Amino acid sequence: MDILNKFLDALVGIFNDSGLMTLDWRNYIMIAVACVLFYLAIKKQYEPLLLLPIAFGMLLVNLYPSIMAAPETTFMTEQQCIAAKGTIDGYATTVIDGQTFYNVPHYGGLFYYLYQGVKLGIYPPLIFLGVGAMTDFGPLIANPKSFILGAAAQIGIFITFIGAIFLGFTSAQAGAIGIIGGADGPTAIYVTTKLAPELLGSIAIAAYSYMALVPIIQPPIMRALTTKKERAVQMEQLRPVSKLEKIIFPVIIVIVISILLPDAAPLVGMLMFGNLLKESGVADRLSKTAQNELMNIITIFLGTTVGATATGANFLSWSTIKIIALGLLAFMMGSACGVLFGKIMYKLTGGKVNPLIGSAGVSAVPMAARVSQKVGQEENPGNFLLMHAMGPNVAGVIGSAVAAGVLLNVLR
Amino acid sequence: MDIMDKLNISASMLLTGFTIVFAVLFFLIFLIWLYGRIITNAQTKAAKRKTLKIQSERNDEPIEKVPVKTDSKAPVLKKSGISDEVVAVISAAVYSMYGSSEKVKIKSIKKSSSRSAWANAGILNNTRPF
Repeated sequence: MDILNKFLDALVGIFNDSGLMTLDWRNYIMIAVACVLFYLAIKKQYEPLLLLPIAFGMLLVNLYPSIMAAPETTFMTEQQCIAAKGTIDGYATTVIDGQTFYNVPHYGGLFYYLYQGVKLGIYPPLIFLGVGAMTDFGPLIANPKSFILGAAAQIGIFITFIGAIFLGFTSAQAGAIGIIGGADGPTAIYVTTKLAPELLGSIAIAAYSYMALVPIIQPPIMRALTTKKERAVQMEQLRPVSKLEKIIFPVIIVIVISILLPDAAPLVGMLMFGNLLKESGVADRLSKTAQNELMNIITIFLGTTVGATATGANFLSWSTIKIIALGLLAFMMGSACGVLFGKIMYKLTGGKVNPLIGSAGVSAVPMAARVSQKVGQEENPGNFLLMHAMGPNVAGVIGSAVAAGVLLNVLR
Repeated sequence: MDIMDKLNISASMLLTGFTIVFAVLFFLIFLIWLYGRIITNAQTKAAKRKTLKIQSERNDEPIEKVPVKTDSKAPVLKKSGISDEVVAVISAAVYSMYGSSEKVKIKSIKKSSSRSAWANAGILNNTRPF
């Protein structure tokens, strides 16, 4: 009889601890959202390298919330400690009001520890190291005026900031939401962890979703703001850039930006370090590691833990809906401002600049540049804008890091 | 935050962000333009000096009369229907890739037969943006 009672108690205990008893309806909705993201990542191939880890992190945390649980310490008396653990050896003690308590630690969940890389701002700069090692700044060096388009596309960040303020967000939260308009995932995550960590899940998912939707969001804006004649402009071939210029570029950028905007130094510094590894030609092994193994490992850690912040209680709120709407506004404003500045350059240069390259000023490398190429080629099949659009595109990466520095400096 | 606070913070952020982002990036445009000019000038001067040195070395050597040889391939090009302009364009492209320092010689230029449908499909697939 005693054996049967113990058996039934064990069954009841297991049932009470199972997800059937501990999960609420919001967790089940988030599990469904994760499955939709799986579909988008696998079937539609929307940013699968990021969306897949994010979706899996989301799935796991909603199935087993303790995977993100923080470590705790319980203070136990000697009797309690012996009853629970069978011994008092090895436990540190704390004396409170003359009574000795044993500190019994409860370790945190797996994702809690991996998430420290996000929380402490370690992963985004490491991703930037890999991005720098993969980026060719040649088109930007050949045509430095591209920086104007990279700056123009950041205006969306600050306009969205205003929208977020008027929708009731705090100024720090509004800054974190606005940075979605930079179309740069690591920068968005970096700024959000510093300004509004409670919104990280919603902002990261909005940022990466919109980056994946660049080919759908941008072309109608580009066509609406340009004439057929402007879209058909063929640009002159870029001048060749010497190796020495490419080596000096990251050094100059990191010195100037770190002195003027120290808050942007971790992002820009790692981006330029990665680029110097590539361009110097003397550290091939390090460059390849930064581009491949390191980048892939950090992407897995970053994606899963960012996804793990999207618990039902955090994600299913009006704030998320507002963030998704504001993120779209940020993206559209950034693209529109880039194209409008492209039109200004078109006028000022007497028709030598194709305004379509302006939309590539939102980062989203190289997708935004490919969209410029595609829309330009629809108008004129002999038009090759890709390399011209890569200039504003990589300028947008630097521009969004500068904008992030401004937001952190002013709002933190 | 009341409406005035919201307006104040919005206007100040827009102004600050706009000004600083543009100021920093304009400064970078100037710096990149400047060092681009300096490096290009330095490299052009170095190349000129090298050319002058080579020329002066040649001038020191006694000039031998070399009988001019007609390139036997030139008529072949004309026969194959490739105009002088096309030959000049291809030569210029080769020169711009390799420069004068490399010993590169164009031995023949032939019109290739048209690609098969499979080759065209492959090229299209690899070069199409989406």
